[in-house]
Amino acid sequence: MIALNHIYKYVNQGGTRVFLLRDISLNIAQGEFISIMGPSGSGKTTLLNVMGMLDEADEGEYLFLDQPVKALKEKQRSALYKQHIGFVFQAYHLIDELTVYENIETPLLYKDYKSSERSAMVCEMLDKFNMVAKKDLFPHQLSGGQQQLVGIARAIVSKPTLLLADEPTGNLNSQQGQEIMELFKKLNSEGLTIIQVTHSEKNAAYGSRIINLSDGRIEN
Amino acid sequence: MIGNNFKIAVRQLLKNKLFSFINIIGLSLGLAVCIVVALFVQREYSVDAMHTRNIYRLDEVQKFEGMVAPQKVALSMFPMGPGLQSDFPEVLNYTRVIQSEKMPLGYKAKKIIVPSFMWVDSTFFRMFDFPLLKGNPQTVLNGSGDAVISESMAKKVFGNEDPIGRMVSWYGGDSTEFIVRGIMKDVPETSHLQMDMVASIPREVKADYAGSWGGNWLVTYLELSDKANTGKLEAQFPAFLKKHLDERAAKQYELFLQPLKDVHSNSTDITHDYVNYQKFDKSNTYAFIIIALIVLGIACMNFVNLSTARSLSRAKEVGIRKTIGAARLQLAQQFIQESLLFTAIAMLLALLIAGLFLPYLNTLSGYRISYAALFKPLPLCLLFLGTILVGLVSGAYPAFYLSSFRPSKVLKGSLKTGKHKSFGRNVLVVSQFAGANVLIIATVFVIRQLNFMQTTNPHFNKDQVIAIKCRENSGRKYMELKHEFLKSPDIAYVTGSFQRLGNNLHQTGIRFKGLGEERSVAISHIRVDRDFLKLYDIKVKAGRDFRESDHRQGFLINETMAKEILKDTPEAPIEKLLGTPFGYEGQQKLGTIVGITEDFNFNSFHHQVEGLTISYADSMPFTEVSVKVAGNKVQEALTFMQSSWKTLVPDVAFEYTFLDEDFANLYKADAQLSKIVGILSGIAVAIAALGLFGLATYATEKRVKEIGVRKVFGASAHSIALLLNRDFLKPVLLASLIAWPIAWMILRTWLTNFAFRIELNVWVFLATALLASLIALVTVSARSLRAAWANPVSSLRTE
Repeated sequence: MIALNHIYKYVNQGGTRVFLLRDISLNIAQGEFISIMGPSGSGKTTLLNVMGMLDEADEGEYLFLDQPVKALKEKQRSALYKQHIGFVFQAYHLIDELTVYENIETPLLYKDYKSSERSAMVCEMLDKFNMVAKKDLFPHQLSGGQQQLVGIARAIVSKPTLLLADEPTGNLNSQQGQEIMELFKKLNSEGLTIIQVTHSEKNAAYGSRIINLSDGRIEN
Repeated sequence: MIGNNFKIAVRQLLKNKLFSFINIIGLSLGLAVCIVVALFVQREYSVDAMHTRNIYRLDEVQKFEGMVAPQKVALSMFPMGPGLQSDFPEVLNYTRVIQSEKMPLGYKAKKIIVPSFMWVDSTFFRMFDFPLLKGNPQTVLNGSGDAVISESMAKKVFGNEDPIGRMVSWYGGDSTEFIVRGIMKDVPETSHLQMDMVASIPREVKADYAGSWGGNWLVTYLELSDKANTGKLEAQFPAFLKKHLDERAAKQYELFLQPLKDVHSNSTDITHDYVNYQKFDKSNTYAFIIIALIVLGIACMNFVNLSTARSLSRAKEVGIRKTIGAARLQLAQQFIQESLLFTAIAMLLALLIAGLFLPYLNTLSGYRISYAALFKPLPLCLLFLGTILVGLVSGAYPAFYLSSFRPSKVLKGSLKTGKHKSFGRNVLVVSQFAGANVLIIATVFVIRQLNFMQTTNPHFNKDQVIAIKCRENSGRKYMELKHEFLKSPDIAYVTGSFQRLGNNLHQTGIRFKGLGEERSVAISHIRVDRDFLKLYDIKVKAGRDFRESDHRQGFLINETMAKEILKDTPEAPIEKLLGTPFGYEGQQKLGTIVGITEDFNFNSFHHQVEGLTISYADSMPFTEVSVKVAGNKVQEALTFMQSSWKTLVPDVAFEYTFLDEDFANLYKADAQLSKIVGILSGIAVAIAALGLFGLATYATEKRVKEIGVRKVFGASAHSIALLLNRDFLKPVLLASLIAWPIAWMILRTWLTNFAFRIELNVWVFLATALLASLIALVTVSARSLRAAWANPVSSLRTE
């Protein structure tokens, strides 16, 4: 599904080039559950952003479903992204002004679903995550774990094939974290490819493969 | 999507109260100003728009010898209309208009004053589309003395009787009789011709004046064929004049054609323009349009500035939306929709504000602009389009800017809004304050000029003077009235004249023998009673005031006239002119100059003092009586005069005004302008200051941590306030520098309207810059001091 060949990413800081990613080559197949680990500043989030098309690599080749991402036009890339990728963040990043229901609905708006389809899809999510009673609450009225559930529901409501999660349990206590991991496992077993960035060995163990990053390189 | 965006917009609006308040108040004030000005402009353009034919007014340029400058006048000669029609095939029709204000009309035992009466030609209703309720426009005025009366005047005169065919008379004077042949709808306010009754010029008058070339005392309108080329026609006028006038007289006139639609709005430089109701210079209308757009522009800039300044708070949202699939265009659409919502709310509020402000404008202008005119399909459409336009203009850049954020940057919380990002905002702040500054400077000078005209010594005394209008009947009783009035201890002087001060005095031909050859000139003149100079406290510079023996023989001239006579020998003292032969052109035997008065401003300060001849003649009935009140007992004097008037001339109404009020009226247009410019610049400054306040709020919010750190390391509240204020003071000062030359150029042009004008003092410009800085300082300090006084612990702890 994902093929990274010799990916480099860097920033120029006062004349010297600082590498964020160095020579990353990686293949990820459909249905995998990958955990990316590594110390702070090792490039985990950058790698995730590159794979999620939020950021572009400076050198190297990136194939997503056999399509060269770099060569794609903005419109095609955005279509590919919209159809296949969902994002989950450490800080949940819900929209404060929207209710639970509206937060989950928003991606569908951008994907031009009809109103009746949208409500069916959102209700399915609410049902699946046991949040029907909370659908009219605003994010600040929810606990962290609940907010992250909304974040995940929002990420998968439009049925992506790849879920990217940047430390999804980083702001949660261990019990809430465990619940999220269980959920990921279940989603993975239903066929969703998941790539998560995590600090925790325990959570990383839920994945089918662990990738260790250090100074922008894959250690293996 | 649209519904969803709308929902978010409403929530954003409620969440950010300060932002919403500043933008909505600003935009609604800006829009309200635009609505009111649009109504005003619409009203201006509707003047005389009801007439469909190709009508022109015939105007003259008079270049009489002895004039300070040639003058354009709205007058023409009695035989010109018929002459032009017979000489030029393009001239299809003509009508002359001779207006007579406050005509006393008698019907049976009833006596009623007709506010505006006009003698016209029979073609009047064929040329002008004043609708007739009764009578055929083609024929209604065909007979000598046939009259058409307005609907409401007919009701006053005839009550429920049918007016058609009834005879009415001009009582007092020569009791001319009219037969009412038609009824016209009341003339709307948007017509430069205002009349309650018109009558066709009598046969005898036409016969008497048919050859009267030379006298300019009426207005002529021409209807031209649609294909007529006015330029070509005007080019033939000199030859036309030569054909009818002697060579010397022909040289003194130029004729030109003024399109009907220009009569109301483009006649400011035309004098002796008596038949022109509420004329208003179109350059003032343009000025209002420009100022209104400046005010709206300042409000739009607030929106742009504040939207981008608080981008930090929207950045996260943009990042999230992009990661869940929003395209940039969709986000831009969302932001545009937000600005449209703001504008729509502002528009509703603006309609309310405009409704509240309109009555004030109507009082100020004397217009009757209707608020209801807004709620018709076309204006509503325009309001709708205006809302969208303003929403797009103010929302476009913020939408473009906000939708450009990259999620991988903003979600990390590392959005850099460094110095270069606020450059654009500073440009807008500079433009806002430059606009506001120009308006403040303009207001100051417009008010100063107005004040100057009202307080400068006109070299005669108009205080405590009551001006009474005389008709033929009352004029004949002038001597008895004067005698009676002077019995009151509250009345100091009574004098008579043929015209009132504060007008263009009529010009007449004068013949004199100065120090050389005998010469003729045409200059302003006024015939007065003997004590005219005493009442008005006009100083005699050389020679003496009138004596009894000067009757019709002795003349006073003003200094300008004296200089005109002495123009070939400027070194000669004016005293040399005393005793030189002087008189009216038609006079058999010349009189002499007995005195030379100081120049006094018998007209407004818009005009130079023209050469003037004053003659003493009380043997003809005066049309104006001036009464000087002794002490302060004006009311007592008026009561006394009213009762004497009633016994002496019971059938004529006692009409009076205070002369200082008459003079104040000369500056009415200037006073209106100063008030409107003043109000609008006040609004502009308020909106700009609000915007600055908003910007200061966001700027201090952004720097809260910096302020905390600085305080921990020993910075005083004072130095921190200074630090924050400095950033805002710079653009405001720069704005002043930009505003100065612009304001200077505009005002220099405007001041050319006044013969007597103020200097453009530098200190006003400096003071305005100071004022603008002060406003900015106070506004920004309201925020920066709070930030500076805050406890640094609380701001640092949150990090």
